[in-house]
Amino acid sequence: MPEDQNRIEVKDVSFSYDVSDETSGKAPRLALDGISVSIEKGSYTAILGSNGSGKSTLAKIIDILEVPDSGKVVIFGKDSSNDDLFWEIREHCCCVFQNPDNQIVGTMIEEDVAFGPENLGIPNPELRQRVDQALKDVGLYEFRHKETMALSGGQKQKLAIAGALAMKPDILILDEATAMLDPTSRDDFLTLVEKMRVEKGLTLITITHDMTEALRCDKLIIVNKGKVALEGTPEEIFLSEDLWKYGLKRPVKFNFAFEIAKLTGSTLTKEDLKSNETLVASLVKMLTKPGLKEPGNVIVDRKKPDETDIIMSVKGLSYTYGGSDTKAIDDINLDIRRGEVLGIVGESGCGKTTLISHMNAIIRPVEGDVIIHTKDGDLSCSNKKDTMKIRQNVGLVFQYPEYQLFEETVYKDIAYGLKKMNVGAEEQKTMIMEAAEKVGLTERELNASPFELSGGQKRRAAMAGVLVMRPGILVLDEPASGLDPKGRQEMFAIIKSLRDSGTTIILVSHNMDEAAVNCDRICLIDNGKIKAVGTPAELFVKKRADELKVQLPRITRFSAVLRTELEEIYPDIEFAGNYFNPEKEAKAIVAAVCKAGGGNA
Amino acid sequence: MLDNVSLGRYYPAHSFLHDTDPRVKTILYAVYLVAIFIIKEPVTIAVLAGVIILQLIMAKITPGILWSTVKPIIPLALFIFAINVFTIRQGDVLFSWKIITITGYGISRAAIMAIRLIFLIVSTSVLLTLTTTPLKMSDALEKLFSPLQVIKVPVHEMAMMMSIALRFIPTLASETRKIMKAQQSRGADYDTGSFINKIKGYITVLIPLFVSSFRRADELAVAMDARCYRGGKGRTKLNPLKLTAKDVLCGILFTLLAVLVVVIDLTLR
Repeated sequence: MPEDQNRIEVKDVSFSYDVSDETSGKAPRLALDGISVSIEKGSYTAILGSNGSGKSTLAKIIDILEVPDSGKVVIFGKDSSNDDLFWEIREHCCCVFQNPDNQIVGTMIEEDVAFGPENLGIPNPELRQRVDQALKDVGLYEFRHKETMALSGGQKQKLAIAGALAMKPDILILDEATAMLDPTSRDDFLTLVEKMRVEKGLTLITITHDMTEALRCDKLIIVNKGKVALEGTPEEIFLSEDLWKYGLKRPVKFNFAFEIAKLTGSTLTKEDLKSNETLVASLVKMLTKPGLKEPGNVIVDRKKPDETDIIMSVKGLSYTYGGSDTKAIDDINLDIRRGEVLGIVGESGCGKTTLISHMNAIIRPVEGDVIIHTKDGDLSCSNKKDTMKIRQNVGLVFQYPEYQLFEETVYKDIAYGLKKMNVGAEEQKTMIMEAAEKVGLTERELNASPFELSGGQKRRAAMAGVLVMRPGILVLDEPASGLDPKGRQEMFAIIKSLRDSGTTIILVSHNMDEAAVNCDRICLIDNGKIKAVGTPAELFVKKRADELKVQLPRITRFSAVLRTELEEIYPDIEFAGNYFNPEKEAKAIVAAVCKAGGGNA
Repeated sequence: MLDNVSLGRYYPAHSFLHDTDPRVKTILYAVYLVAIFIIKEPVTIAVLAGVIILQLIMAKITPGILWSTVKPIIPLALFIFAINVFTIRQGDVLFSWKIITITGYGISRAAIMAIRLIFLIVSTSVLLTLTTTPLKMSDALEKLFSPLQVIKVPVHEMAMMMSIALRFIPTLASETRKIMKAQQSRGADYDTGSFINKIKGYITVLIPLFVSSFRRADELAVAMDARCYRGGKGRTKLNPLKLTAKDVLCGILFTLLAVLVVVIDLTLR
């Protein structure tokens, strides 16, 4: 069958990780439930879905890392159930996984790249030539004799790509390969992979939670509960109203466009979503058509936290790690206002984690100090006697906190800090229930083992373990990383409710979009120094952002194009500042058009 | 404490010893192990120290790197020294009070024990870990022990396991630091309290560390599978081990030095 030669065909595949237990009579939970997928050779496909939807399992089935319980997988005409073809199929299909550290085998860079082709039994000099070529392709050739551990996260993922390229694959699968990278490394990585796809004629399959990343693909497959829920081009998929059902969201700019469509009583079509140009053109059409109505409720800005009410001051803080000769942070001065959400934004390795580790004396200040202003007086992080009090006042949740759970039950795990503080049993119970409620954990989840929970639940359990101490200041390091769009939204809802109940929040993030929406002020850090502090509206204006060399949030970049178009049509139009929430920004635009006389014509 | 984990860590550099065939280094290591445990005389200890320093120079290992390797075992060396000083009662009594008796012979024996331990660690580092990447080391062990395959010993698999274990030491060390920091910020205190409490404190670190090691092992296994790993059969090597005249010469020279030291030591007794 000639057409089969050019497709990856997955037909009615079911798969379960559970071993079926005859005695219990319980049906095993299916990770894949009769799924059928067809992917064209040379195409660029994204597989999307919530955490636990079965999308990674699907990728593993294609690479025969898991063997289906039933159904058929045919890769470019080769049936994967045929044992003689097993290695041939796997050889030509390569995977890059999420965690850079857990896929590196070699200590030295070239040793690691050689691992795959060595397994294939490729002899020298071809082996040497393949390794060198792969390293040159990803731009790591000059580092070939360096230690793999010395690389940054983004470089480690490029190394993984080199390891794959050295095997001369036909198919490359990226299993959330960008999830742990900052935006710059992410763009770098994707640009590289896309270039390789064109140069080497690869079939590229990417599994991702980033909807804007998915827009780069030719085709999207949405997996839900082990089945294909939706399938189509990005335009077709993002037109669907069902995305939320599958734990997904539209990319930010589409969200914004759909808000405008809603406010103007228009609808968007597949053709409108094709490109930025078509989208802007149709939005302009919507906004200039007669009968435009003022948006109902006016935008309510949050009351600004009191500038003079300082809860924490960082004063002249510098720190150098042992064995390093550059300062990890250098003369940081920062006042944190009571009740605000302060974003600390910067690329990986800029000193964010070092800074926040000082905030509750995990690293004791050597040069400079951090002062916490409480009702009962000031606490100094450099004073050893204040340490315990500081740790009660300043809760610190590190990245991926779920990896640090250890007790038999979630309840006991949350109680850990209270026990250390010698809180009585009765009071412990009240405090634990209060913390559990804040993060939305049920009674059943409290009594479960932390290792039985889903990823998102584990994360919330770990957060509760910090919240239980009722800290006035909560420091969160990338609280939403690795979560699917729905999980992210839920996490930010929790953060918002904590803020509303009066907790001061310091949010470390490398996601400009989320920082802009959720923070009152943003502190930009670059190479250990503060580059700027200000409200998102102050910092994310084109001119200022260019000066600071930061990327504008996606919505601002897109909306700017629309604004320019509208300015040409209505020379007197005045916009009421930038908003980063799609809904607010849409309202602001519609309101501005109405004011400038649009819609009355 | 964990900031400077250098046990089993590779020190990337270009030096004579870095380039020496790992099989030669492994054999030399075995030779020096024997020598270190035979010698007793101050003169030969000094000579051996000289030979080890020569090796350090040939490996371009800086005093800083050397110190970070030796530092972690100093408490253990002191402990061994103390135990020996207090328990050996032969020889001239230098000091005696109640049940404590210190003898001259005791001190010299204790010093030898402590020095042996330090020599052992330095030799391991200079000949093996610091100058040989884990993959090369596993190659060497695989080759040296390959005759055992005849009696069905899974030599390749064991060598691979060892090299992966070494590769993950820095990763797990940094994970341990992270877990400790997170627990400290929840009020954990590893430095004060009774001995029992300290041990208990570490258990809360060990559980998540174990869990994450299993998770990592699982993910690594899948990644290796995806890269077509199927045991040692039919595998080729990017940098196959090649024994050169230089390697043989180096091996013979250092073996002779060790033998010489041992012979002198035995004749001096």
